[in-house]
Amino acid sequence: MMKDEDVDELLRRRRYERAFGLLLDRYQEKVFRLALSIVKEAGRAEEVTQDIFLKLWQALPFYDGRAALSTWLYTIARNTCYSMFRKESIRTAVTIEGRAEPSRDEILSQHAEIKELLERLPTVQREVITLFYLEDQSIQDVAQMLDLPQGTVKSHLHRARRALADMMRS
Amino acid sequence: MDCQEAKEKLQESFDGALSLEDRRQLEKHLIACPGCAQFGELLNALDLRLKEAIRAPRLSPGFRAALQTRIDRRPRGLWTHWLPDVAYLVGSGAGILCCVYLLPFSASSVLWIGTLVAAIGYSFQTLLLSSLEEL
Repeated sequence: MMKDEDVDELLRRRRYERAFGLLLDRYQEKVFRLALSIVKEAGRAEEVTQDIFLKLWQALPFYDGRAALSTWLYTIARNTCYSMFRKESIRTAVTIEGRAEPSRDEILSQHAEIKELLERLPTVQREVITLFYLEDQSIQDVAQMLDLPQGTVKSHLHRARRALADMMRS
Repeated sequence: MDCQEAKEKLQESFDGALSLEDRRQLEKHLIACPGCAQFGELLNALDLRLKEAIRAPRLSPGFRAALQTRIDRRPRGLWTHWLPDVAYLVGSGAGILCCVYLLPFSASSVLWIGTLVAAIGYSFQTLLLSSLEEL
């Protein structure tokens, strides 16, 4: 697990710019992948990653050290993604018939069939299995990013694989 | 090893490394059980397809510059920087007022002593903080 004691120390000394820079270096790609597993499209994931770090910048002076910095950041990330989803679902509910073709940079654009199977999984299983492959198959990283116990991640992963295997067989 | 256990171990083999003993027992079971062997092949095919399908693009090179522009457009209020100091002073004020009401001494002496203690504490904290910042 990544230690952020140096960032904690900088925050205690109110050196927010340096702390923010270190957090960006360490977490921007991870947060991007987490966003990607939720919003599923690279362009939107990058946009929402910017929103997440903008919120982080605004919130840094209020970090109280109760949760680990990474846990706090991933919580901001998930909440930002889900709130964007809620806003967008209202919009897509109205415009779903006129939806454009999937854009070129969708993570699964070349693999329509497996994408279709993934779409049929419950949301949490889909997020866990997508993140598992995005994060070099590290259950520990997935658990930290989704704030779930490792056992729960494993059980979602196993259910997702079993469901996908059943779909492939039928 | 029964079929249920074998299927569980098969799944675990895709989660990470299986112990040598588990692997040996699993292989023994798979040789004897065509159903589990077929399930294993299916999981293997699925794993390969997922690995091929799920690849993370990286953030675009302009990500940091765009973020910086947005941060510059919405600078954090200066008051947040001073929030801990404001909290300290408000807390000290409340503490002194409580002492004025609760302690059996004259209000003016409690006020003076309280203010002196708060000021010494604040100066000490500020000195400590600035010496840390210089490190």
